[in-house]
Amino acid sequence: MRTCKRYMRLYRVLITQFLKGIMQSKVDFLMGLLGFFFTQFMGIAFLYLVFRQVPSLQGWTLEQLIFIYGFAQIPRGIDHLLTDNIWLIAWRMVLSGDFDRYMLRPMNLFFQVIAEKLQPDALGELLVGGILLVISLQKGIVIVDGVHMVLFFVSVMAGALIYTAIKLFFASLSFWVKISGPFLQTAYEMADFAKYPTEIYHRAIRFVITWIIPFAFVAYLPASFFLKAEVSPGIIGIECIMAVVLFSIAYVVFTIGTRRYESAGN
Amino acid sequence: MMIEVSHISKSFVSPKKYPGLKGAIKGLFSTEKIEKKAVDDISFSIKEGEIVGYIGSNGAGKSTTIKMMTGILSPTEGNCLVNGVDPNKKRKENAKNIGVVFGQRTQLWWDLPLSESFTILKEIYDVCDEDYAERMEFLNRVLELQEFFDRPVRTLSLGQRMRADLGAALLHNPRVLYLDEPTIGLDLVVKENIREAIKEINAKYKTTVILTTHDIGDIEELCSRIIIIDQGKKIYDGSLQKLKDLYGAKRTVSMEVRNYNQKKLANLWETLGVKEEDYETEYDKEQRILSVAFDKNKIHVPEILTAVMSQMEVKDVQIEETQLEDIVKQIYHSGVK
Repeated sequence: MRTCKRYMRLYRVLITQFLKGIMQSKVDFLMGLLGFFFTQFMGIAFLYLVFRQVPSLQGWTLEQLIFIYGFAQIPRGIDHLLTDNIWLIAWRMVLSGDFDRYMLRPMNLFFQVIAEKLQPDALGELLVGGILLVISLQKGIVIVDGVHMVLFFVSVMAGALIYTAIKLFFASLSFWVKISGPFLQTAYEMADFAKYPTEIYHRAIRFVITWIIPFAFVAYLPASFFLKAEVSPGIIGIECIMAVVLFSIAYVVFTIGTRRYESAGN
Repeated sequence: MMIEVSHISKSFVSPKKYPGLKGAIKGLFSTEKIEKKAVDDISFSIKEGEIVGYIGSNGAGKSTTIKMMTGILSPTEGNCLVNGVDPNKKRKENAKNIGVVFGQRTQLWWDLPLSESFTILKEIYDVCDEDYAERMEFLNRVLELQEFFDRPVRTLSLGQRMRADLGAALLHNPRVLYLDEPTIGLDLVVKENIREAIKEINAKYKTTVILTTHDIGDIEELCSRIIIIDQGKKIYDGSLQKLKDLYGAKRTVSMEVRNYNQKKLANLWETLGVKEEDYETEYDKEQRILSVAFDKNKIHVPEILTAVMSQMEVKDVQIEETQLEDIVKQIYHSGVK
C-alpha cells in the first residue's frame, strides 16, 4: 500500500516535469495533434468511400462499422497516451545504453519507462473515438443498460492493457536483438485489421489477430457485444483474461530481458 | 567492508562477422559466436571511506566492472556486495546506497531548469526536507550550484554540468560514489574544483569513492589506493606510493655544466664503483646539460653530485622523479613485473 502511494506520488511528479518540458515546444505539440486528426479523418473518409459502393459488409451496416471503428480508437488512444515511451526501448535505448539510467534509480523499471512521457498525439484518437461513440449513441444503435455500461469501461481498460502488453513484449525483444523496432512496428500495424469485422478476412489472418496478436479482442469482438444483444458478455471476460495473461507474459519477458541488458560501450 | 567483489567475470557474446558483402550473407546463416571476456576473474575489497582509482587503458574492462557494481550489468560469473547488498539481485535496494556520475552522459532532466532535477531526485530518493536543506547547503558551498541553479540543464557548460551531475548524485547521501571519468574534457581550474569537492565529500560523509580516469592528476590528488586492470584482469592493487617504489625507482639528475669532459666522467664512475648497466648519461651540447638517469636504490643523488662537481663546474641542478603517467604507460606496454 505504501509502495503504491509512493509510486502514485512519483508518477505525478515525473509527469508534471514532463509536461513542463513539452510546454516549451508548443509547435511540436500542435503539429502532432493535427497530424493525428488528419490520419483519423482519412480513416473515416475511407469507410464512407467504400460504403458508397457496398451498402453493407458481411451483414454490418455503415453505422455499425463506424461504431466499431470509433470504439477501437479508445483503448488504442489510452495506451498510446500512457505508454508511448515503450517504443524508445525498441528503437534506441537498449542499443545506445540509455537504459542505464533506469537501472540506476531505486524504482521499478517498467514504471520508469511509462512515467517518463505522456503522448499528447493520442488525444486525436481519443477525441475521434469519443465523437464517433456519441454519434452512435444518438443513432440508437448501441445497447445502453447498466451491464453494458460497466462492461464498456472494463473492456476499454482491458483493451488498452492488451495494447500495452503487445508493445512491451515486442519492445523487450530488443534486449536480445538490440533493435526490435521493426518487429514492434509490424505487430502494432496488425491492429489496423481489427478496426473492421474480422469475418471479412481469410481464416489465417483471422486466427492470428484473434489468438496470437489478439487485436480483435481490443476492437471488433467487444464492439460487437455492444451492438448485438445476442452476443454474450463472456466475450468481455475472455478479453480480460487475455489482457492479464498477455501482460504477465510480456512483463516476464521484459524482466528477463533487463537481466541480460548489456549496456553500451566498453 | 563497503565493497566486496569476488571472482567477478563478464563475457559478451556476439555473432561472428565476416568481411565484405559475401561475408555479410554468410553471417546471416552462420551460428558461430565470438565470446569476449571483458572482465576476467577480478576480486578486491574496499573499506568504507576509501578513495580508489580504477585505471586501465580503453577497453580494459573498467566501465564493465563499474556497471556490474552499480547493478546495470549482471556478471557472467562471480558476484559482488556493495554495503552488504548484491546489486544484481536487489537492484532497487542497491540503487538507494549508491551515487553514479558518468562523465559522458548526464542523468539530469535535459530540458528543465537544474532546480527541477533536484526536486525530482528529492522525491525519487525520499529525502526529507531537513536532510534536503542540509545537503543543498553543503553542495552549494562545495560545488557552487546556485550560480546556474535556475538554468535549463542543456544550457550549462560542460564544467557546470559536471558539478550539477556530481551534486545530483550526492543528494541522497550515498554510501558509495562511482565516478566514471569525472574530469574528462574539463579545464584545469574546473578539474581542481571537482577534485576539491570530492575530497570534501569524502571527508565529511565518509563516502567511499571509486573513480575511473585517464587523468593522472586525479589519481595523484585523490586516490590513496589504485587498482589497475588490463584486458579484463587485475594487474595491480595497492598504494600509489608502492607502485612508485616498484616502478619509479628510476631518477634523472640534470645538470647544467661547464667544461664537460666525457673521459673524466667515465673514470669517475669507475672510482665510484658503479656498473655501466645502472646508469645512462646523456649530454646536450647546445644547452650544456648533462643528464644522468639512474636507479635510486643503487646510487644516491649526493654521490653523483659530488663526483660530477669534483670534475666540472655545475651551474644548475634538477632532479626528476618518474611520473606516474610513465609508470602506467610502462605497465600497459609490458605488463606487471
